[in-house]
Amino acid sequence: MDMKVKGSKELLTEVIDAGLCTLCGACAGGCPYLVSYKGRIVLLDSCTISQGQCYQYCPRTYTDMDAISQQVFGTPYSGDELGATKEVLMTRSTDARIKESAQYGGTVTSLLSLALEEGFIDGAILTKMSDDKTPSVFLAQSTEELLQCAGSNYMACPVLQALNQIPKDSEQRLAVVAMPCQILALSKMRQEPPQDRMNIGNVKLVVGLFCTWALSPDGFHQFLKENLNLPQVTKFDIPPPPANIFEAYTPSGKISFPLDEIRRFVMPACAYCLDMTSEFADISVGSVEGIEGWNTVIVRTDVGAQLIEMAKEKGKLEVDTLPPENLAHLKEASLLKKKRALQEIITRSGDRKNLLYVSLQQSIIDRLLA
Amino acid sequence: MSGVGIDAPGSTQLFIGNEAIARGALEAGIGVASAYPGTPSTEIMASLISVAKEKNFYAEWSVNEKVALEVAAGASFAGIRAITSMKQNGVNVASDFLANLVMSGIGAGLVLVSCDDPSTLSSSNEQDLRNIAKWLDIPLLEPATFQEAKDMTKWAFDLAEELNSICMIRSVTRIAHARGNVRLGELPKKEQKAHFDSICPVVPTLPKFISYPSAWLHSQLHAKLDKARELFESSPFNWYTGPEEAELLIITGGSCWLYSLEAVKALKLENKVGILKLGTIWPLPQKFIELHLSKSQKILMVEEIDPFLEGSIKELVADLPPDAPRPTFYGKHSGHINAYGELNPDLVIEVIASIMNLTYESRPAEYSKKAEEIPFTYMPPRIMTFCPGCPHRATFWAIKNALRLDGRDGFVTGDIGCYTLAIGPAGFFQMRTMYCMGAGAGVANGLGKLGQFGFTQPVLAVCGDSTFFHAAIPALINGIYNKSNFTLVILDNNATAMTGFQPHPGTGITGMGETTTAVDMEALCRSLGLQVDVCDPFDLENSTATLLKAIAQDGGPRVVIMRRECELVRGRRDKKPPYKVHVDCDKCLGEACGCDRLCTRVFGCPGLVWDSESGKATIDETICTGCGVCADICPQGAIIREAV
Repeated sequence: MDMKVKGSKELLTEVIDAGLCTLCGACAGGCPYLVSYKGRIVLLDSCTISQGQCYQYCPRTYTDMDAISQQVFGTPYSGDELGATKEVLMTRSTDARIKESAQYGGTVTSLLSLALEEGFIDGAILTKMSDDKTPSVFLAQSTEELLQCAGSNYMACPVLQALNQIPKDSEQRLAVVAMPCQILALSKMRQEPPQDRMNIGNVKLVVGLFCTWALSPDGFHQFLKENLNLPQVTKFDIPPPPANIFEAYTPSGKISFPLDEIRRFVMPACAYCLDMTSEFADISVGSVEGIEGWNTVIVRTDVGAQLIEMAKEKGKLEVDTLPPENLAHLKEASLLKKKRALQEIITRSGDRKNLLYVSLQQSIIDRLLA
Repeated sequence: MSGVGIDAPGSTQLFIGNEAIARGALEAGIGVASAYPGTPSTEIMASLISVAKEKNFYAEWSVNEKVALEVAAGASFAGIRAITSMKQNGVNVASDFLANLVMSGIGAGLVLVSCDDPSTLSSSNEQDLRNIAKWLDIPLLEPATFQEAKDMTKWAFDLAEELNSICMIRSVTRIAHARGNVRLGELPKKEQKAHFDSICPVVPTLPKFISYPSAWLHSQLHAKLDKARELFESSPFNWYTGPEEAELLIITGGSCWLYSLEAVKALKLENKVGILKLGTIWPLPQKFIELHLSKSQKILMVEEIDPFLEGSIKELVADLPPDAPRPTFYGKHSGHINAYGELNPDLVIEVIASIMNLTYESRPAEYSKKAEEIPFTYMPPRIMTFCPGCPHRATFWAIKNALRLDGRDGFVTGDIGCYTLAIGPAGFFQMRTMYCMGAGAGVANGLGKLGQFGFTQPVLAVCGDSTFFHAAIPALINGIYNKSNFTLVILDNNATAMTGFQPHPGTGITGMGETTTAVDMEALCRSLGLQVDVCDPFDLENSTATLLKAIAQDGGPRVVIMRRECELVRGRRDKKPPYKVHVDCDKCLGEACGCDRLCTRVFGCPGLVWDSESGKATIDETICTGCGVCADICPQGAIIREAV
């Protein structure tokens, strides 16, 4: 594993052309050379910078997990199933409007709405679906705008590109809602703040989403377009196993596709991801298997804990303990992702001691492979 | 340039060769002149058209060279002397009509001037048009001096009428654009009356101006050439200078005659080396040449591009009686003369010195070395690039970004024009094929039909506005008819810019300055059922988005017109820039990550200058035209444009 920071040329050969790009957007939008377009990162011109921020923040170039964990939690990377946790809860919004448009329990929308109301943040960067269900990055500055962003379409979206496009003199305090790979890149940014770009210190809240994999926007959107009347679709969902289907909600009922048909659109880069629960977020949010209308919430940092506490106090969230069997299953699923990813990384690296992009303590590697 | 019309017989004027040719045409009493601009021929028509009204004749910039020749022929058929001028590529365009025209003969004197461009200083190919005279049986003259350029042109009309054949004048860049003294003759004052008389004097039932019956007409044509050869035997444009018995005989013509003369003088070989200067290049005056061939056993042919004289004279020698002496030939076949490109006196000196076993240094080696080095100590290296404010730079920026974003390895097929610079850094290396006018669209037709072979790369053809009218329309129609998948981008800068802003059918003004119907290329394309988008290339975002949309489509061709006036035309008219542009140094990131000198390193407008001391970009106010496009390029918003 090469620890050196390199330039855009190497980013292209080592990550993008190598099929390792997660489309997080960390490399894009901060310079005139790299942009994201229709689910691809495009190099518009040659750049001669030998050590670029594009390469530096990429979640698939050298990533020192201990250093990042130290930065966020003050402890080295544990390799535990769910990462650093303060509390694992089950929550749902108390707001009927939010619940109505929410993917599951509306927790993310409620928390962000609260953070906006309380003046904790001025805006939140998240993903929004257009009428034809293409995902795009959006800066929401009100509850109304947050509601427009509710729901998932499972496609990768270069959220961090929007962060790179924020003027460096902006004082806007932000929340970021992102996938694990994106939060890994964001953590790299926080560890070594970007030069001549936005003040990363303005990111006050990081909300992570659970993710087993993301779909390639280009190919998958084409598939959706061919099979659905997209403007009519109100929601996409992947119900918990053993359903093994992808569902689209339409006014005339649900249309489902076998999950295996969808899996061919999974970003190849997802195979190398060790993180299912966005381990470097302040709060991570996902579904609760078998309990409809609720979210699993992992509180990781003081910021996250304060926000949950406030939500409880203000009656924005209904909070319950996550049933032990759900917790156990969550851990199991998360561990499985780690194990599979590590195996893929080792296979691709061809060397257990010199992993593709991630630096892990040997004891963690051994434990995961056991 | 309008000095060509001066009515002062006997006076001497300083003319470039093209003006001398124009003056010759005026003295011959032309009634019609036609041309399509093309370096190095352009100034012939430019100087004629500037005096056309005053001298009461008709002149036009035609849509292309074939039509230009047809226009001139039409005038000739009705008894009006006519001249048409073009560059070597233009004769190729005109050649189909030309090859037919030679069969029939002409009415009044008809002269075709071809300006060749040895070393291709501004051409897409290097071509020797003397060959077309031999190929198509056309009498051809080649001037060696500016006086000859005038005199030969005038005589060519008489010759054409005497032979009943179109005659050609071949010139080259160094005659066309160099300047010398020309003694003027009389300008005719008589009124001309046009009348079309179609009765063939030989077969009254046949029209006069047809190329049929071709075989019989071909024999007539050969008879015309025999007559021309006979006339050329005593032509004052052919002469010999030098000793009666020479150690070396140089046979040459055109600009190479002056190089040879200079070389012989420099070597002080006037008493040993003779020069046979030929002005009537085809058909060659056989007896006149044979007379001089005996002057030396060593014969050097000094000529540019093809071994035309060399081959033709060797043919003559092959036909000499068996007992005639066989001289040794030096020229292109022997490797003494460059097989391509221009010659110059130094090169000819070297050749003569090597044949004569002399050592001669035209200038000390040390001096030459120093002379080569000096410019680079004072001048920064410069690339060939678009002018500051040129719309083409913005267009190719949008094309580059659109093709990169599209991501299917699309590319640009192109042709010749200012925009040819897009083969290099000026246009971000976007143009990947470049041939004759209209070829970008034509080649795209073929590429656009390769889907069945797994070809998925988007094909984007470019042509200029004048080129669109000249040669791209048939290719576009072919694409519609045969459903070829490509995007045609018309770079509409409202002028034939590369050759000096001549008007064209889309500009609404004739060559003689009259307003006329502007052929609306957009309406024309729409009338063909095409989808047409019109963009301002300076609106980079919209241009890129429009191009992306166009190249994403399948099926037959679609058209994007990039419309923005040539900055040189706008600047001359408006006299002031639209914006005042400056760099906010606090914002400029320079070489840092996030910019890496995008404006000066990649965009490359000459108005943007990299100041290595401050590590910031600056604007060169002396050449910045204030187009303001760079303000949209700068990722930091550090380039500020303020409306003037």
